[in-house]
Amino acid sequence: MEVKSTPSQQPNLLIDQAIVPGDVVLHLSNISTNKIKLGLGLRQDADTIKATNMGLLKHSRPNKYWVESSTKRYIPTAGDAVLGIVIDSKPDNFVLDIKGPNLAFLPVLAFEGGTRKNIPKYEVGTLVYVRVVKANKIMNPEVACTDANGKSAEFGSLKDGYMFETSTGLSQMLLSSPTCPVLDALGKKLSFELAVGLNGRVWVDASSPEAVVLVSNSIMNSEFLSDTQQKIMVKTLLKKIEL
Amino acid sequence: MDHRMGNVSRMTVNERKFIETALLNDLRIDGRRPFDYRPLTIKLGREDGLSEVHLGQTHVMAYVTAQLSQPYRDRPNEGSFSVFSEFSPMADPLFEIGRPGESAIELGRVIDRGLRESKAIDVESLSVVPGKYVWAVRLDIHILDNGGNLIDAANIAALSALSTFRRPECTVSGDDGQEVTIHPPETREPLPLIIHHLPVAITFAFFNEGNISVIDPSNHEEIVSGGRMTVSINTNSEICAIQKAGGEGVMSGVVMQCMRIASMKAADITKEIKNYVEIFDNERTLRKVKRHSEVATLEVDVPDASMNETSQLHHITGLKNHTDLIPKSEPNTINQVFIGQASNWDPYSMKTSSHLSKHFVASPSTLSPSHVDRVVETISLPKLEKNQTEDSTMDNDGVISIAVETSSVTKTKNMLTLKDAVDKKRKMKKKMKMKNVK
Repeated sequence: MEVKSTPSQQPNLLIDQAIVPGDVVLHLSNISTNKIKLGLGLRQDADTIKATNMGLLKHSRPNKYWVESSTKRYIPTAGDAVLGIVIDSKPDNFVLDIKGPNLAFLPVLAFEGGTRKNIPKYEVGTLVYVRVVKANKIMNPEVACTDANGKSAEFGSLKDGYMFETSTGLSQMLLSSPTCPVLDALGKKLSFELAVGLNGRVWVDASSPEAVVLVSNSIMNSEFLSDTQQKIMVKTLLKKIEL
Repeated sequence: MDHRMGNVSRMTVNERKFIETALLNDLRIDGRRPFDYRPLTIKLGREDGLSEVHLGQTHVMAYVTAQLSQPYRDRPNEGSFSVFSEFSPMADPLFEIGRPGESAIELGRVIDRGLRESKAIDVESLSVVPGKYVWAVRLDIHILDNGGNLIDAANIAALSALSTFRRPECTVSGDDGQEVTIHPPETREPLPLIIHHLPVAITFAFFNEGNISVIDPSNHEEIVSGGRMTVSINTNSEICAIQKAGGEGVMSGVVMQCMRIASMKAADITKEIKNYVEIFDNERTLRKVKRHSEVATLEVDVPDASMNETSQLHHITGLKNHTDLIPKSEPNTINQVFIGQASNWDPYSMKTSSHLSKHFVASPSTLSPSHVDRVVETISLPKLEKNQTEDSTMDNDGVISIAVETSSVTKTKNMLTLKDAVDKKRKMKKKMKMKNVK
């Protein structure tokens, strides 16, 4: 969304603060730049920008604003990498559940070097790491097992390991950089493989079941803990399996 | 495009394989060992007969009520006991309102069988007039959150609710022994149910073709499991019910091992239930002590109302005194009965509203019979001042009960009532009035 405004500048005190639906985030008369890009959770209302979601207001230079929130359900957005579960296969596409309001379609040819001859055999219950290509309110989202350039880039089915479901906020924390403390602490002592879907699904694989159980439980516990608390929690759990 | 509910829990192949692989190493996905229960919390105390149980993420509520009704024809001396279970859609997207599904019926049946067949609840003590009136006890179970193992959690909720339930006391009188009076809790202390033993349900889930068994399965484990078995057992190691509905075949040796483990777990769970119930009972008695602080007892001789078969059930117009409510720890107060002079305090002359006088009425002998129908409650009165208690034998920590009477009301002293404690103006007025009287 783009808006025109008169020049004048004031620092926005709500950045990185918790806001609720209805809060006025910006007065357009106070903005210096001509263009403002609004992301998820913000809406223009006459000459103000109001929040429609609850969460933290985020800002990135020079003119991007959005609301970061954590939900148990996922709203499909183009460009996200998510974990889907195959529930059906049709001649033209696989039907996936990505924890959104609609089921997603994965075209059978949406793979690197995909042709009619080498369609992968995904049975019901297969876990696939996919990228959301198209998503809007009215249609079923479309996903693909390739990145924007057509390369496979680690997308595809995930074998073995264990998958658990959490909130979208936790997935965002796990994917943030620098690495979040819980993954840092776990990585120092254990070796494991992790796939995080922005739809709140996380897949873990490690050499021993104890490690998998430990990693998954630490991640699930870490959502509302501070940095130090996360480190302490991981330390206590690691002691239980004597590491 | 078939738009099935998006939030149905779907299991991946990975999860199934992992749960079974981990179990081969005696490890469960939440870090428990195969025969560990999840943390159990029982919430009692909001009401008699109401309990809420948290078993891990599973949340269940049970409520016990009783009603007088006709007994079954072939069992005229026994009360009845029935279990109803409701699976709320908020517990799990697969639950639907309306007709109970298979698992709801199974849950109700298992809990019912465990309590009824083993005669855990004494139904003969529930009969009031044999052949005519018996107490029908009804247990309602509401599932609030399905985190797996609903039967165990519901059973614990049922046992706690039954242990804390109190039914009103009733007496049979009348010429033909057909008139039943139900006493409200203010008059007579309600009675607990007679429970002989507590049958605890322990559920096992089987994996790997019946070779691996785990106790207290969580939601994911239940979906992946090949079979399930519930054992209702009490602390005397008596098996009250067993339920194994379909699923994988299990060797008899495994079944016996499960029963042995169940009897150990039953002892632990029974102890926990008893602890929580004891805490609740103590709080209950403490609550009674608080209510009756610093007041005198009042003995009023009041005939109880009688109920004819055609008249209403609860037409109560009188009370007995409350000396039986005083805790035994205060022996001085129990036998102190205060009988004073008739009061000149007439609620109607002071223009109090009738609903106020319901709550705290002294009983002057001048009251006319038309003012009989009032619900009377026990109240706590403030300490009387010395100059008013010259001829009283009241003790500060006694209990007062005041009755509105039809005809034969005995005297009360001109006492300060609760309203006076609250309303200083009224107190002043009263003092003035009493000074005038004296």
